[in-house]
Amino acid sequence: MALASARVHEVPDDLLAAIDYCYEQGWTDGLPVIPPAVERVHAMLAHEGRAPETVIATHPATGLELSVHAAAVNAVMAGCLPQYFPVLVAAFEAMNHADFNFHGSTASTGGSAPLLIVSGAYAEEIGMNADVNLFGPGNRANATIGRAVRLILRNVFQMIPGISDKSTQGNPGKYSFCVAERARGNPWPLLCEAQGYPRGVSSVTVFAGGGFCNVENHGGNTPEQVLGSVADAMANYGCISLGQSVVMLSPEHMRIVAGAGWRREDAQAFLFSNAKRSVDGMKRVGKHRDSEYEKQHDGGAHVLVEAGQFHRGLTPDDILITMGGGDAGGHSCFIPSWSRGRGSIMQHKPIGVCIDPN
Amino acid sequence: MRLYDPTTSRRQRRLSRAPALAGLQGKSIGILENGKLNAEAMLREIGLLFQERHGCTIRAVYSKSNASAPAPAETLARAAREVDFLITGLGD
Repeated sequence: MALASARVHEVPDDLLAAIDYCYEQGWTDGLPVIPPAVERVHAMLAHEGRAPETVIATHPATGLELSVHAAAVNAVMAGCLPQYFPVLVAAFEAMNHADFNFHGSTASTGGSAPLLIVSGAYAEEIGMNADVNLFGPGNRANATIGRAVRLILRNVFQMIPGISDKSTQGNPGKYSFCVAERARGNPWPLLCEAQGYPRGVSSVTVFAGGGFCNVENHGGNTPEQVLGSVADAMANYGCISLGQSVVMLSPEHMRIVAGAGWRREDAQAFLFSNAKRSVDGMKRVGKHRDSEYEKQHDGGAHVLVEAGQFHRGLTPDDILITMGGGDAGGHSCFIPSWSRGRGSIMQHKPIGVCIDPN
Repeated sequence: MRLYDPTTSRRQRRLSRAPALAGLQGKSIGILENGKLNAEAMLREIGLLFQERHGCTIRAVYSKSNASAPAPAETLARAAREVDFLITGLGD
């Protein structure tokens, strides 16, 4: 059942004209949307057990609220099937956490986009792609769930480019930035398991992603060689900060790393130790800040922090690393966080269930 | 064809402005800097203009650890107690 007070637009029964109408209203991301016909929204709402007026997220600055109903309307417009809806709802519940700071990460000149990583059986159940062309187009679930996030940020929270979205350059992920973690052949515990959810519960992780960096290495045959190239990407002067990181290892690279017996924690520790720049180097490019260095090196500094070096992040746990992509190709990726520091911290939520913390 | 509106007008709270000061002469100033490079320096320069033109006094400097999040409620409450008006800004 939809929101009784929801506003309805009466338009002629002409689909192409309805698509144009959506453009004229300013409801799109620049691409045509599916007109949010009431019947389709009702079908979307049937996949959420809570009342349509239930508030999922609230904008901290304006107080604008995202209801289940409004999320369903935008999900239809993005092209989502109803079974995708629980992922979208869980994603916004995660983004609503104050530490994710969806306002700041969207409004900032930094131009980040919320990256969604879906982990667990639900990803396969709804036909998500965790394989070849992982971050590319072609899969309806990946494409439309990510797109719905942007439409909600725009239409519900009015985060409109040039007005309340001040991205200097933005990034392509702002169209859609949603993938599934690859379970097939993954030697490490899946994220949903590592995050502590009960067996059988899938999760979505949200991360304010500042861009996408392909890390190519076809010659490295040891974990140190493969991860060394990843660490170098993480430490590039354009990205290095106290912020978090997402690293998606290709299956080829994972075979090298995990095949040598390295666990996720070993890879995180190596990356944290090696994704660093000297203080002199940071000063040379004008990026050294005493306050940031002190934050990393104060009394609570991680044991791997080296004097005279500025590491990416505060601890190895700031690096989310897992596997995704096709079987062939020594191409992994690094996705930096938005913000120079701790402005946004990744969050996760279970999909379609409520977990009693007790 | 009937289409649902994808926007919302639902707000958790109404936005309102603080009442205007009766005048600026002799008032105390707080500076709320957002942690960005040169923010405090620029805001102080603005504060000095108020000092010069209206006899104001820069009494306190407050900081936000996160430039893109609201200042903590306790910071704003303390500022409201300690100064007559706040100078702050957005920007990189």
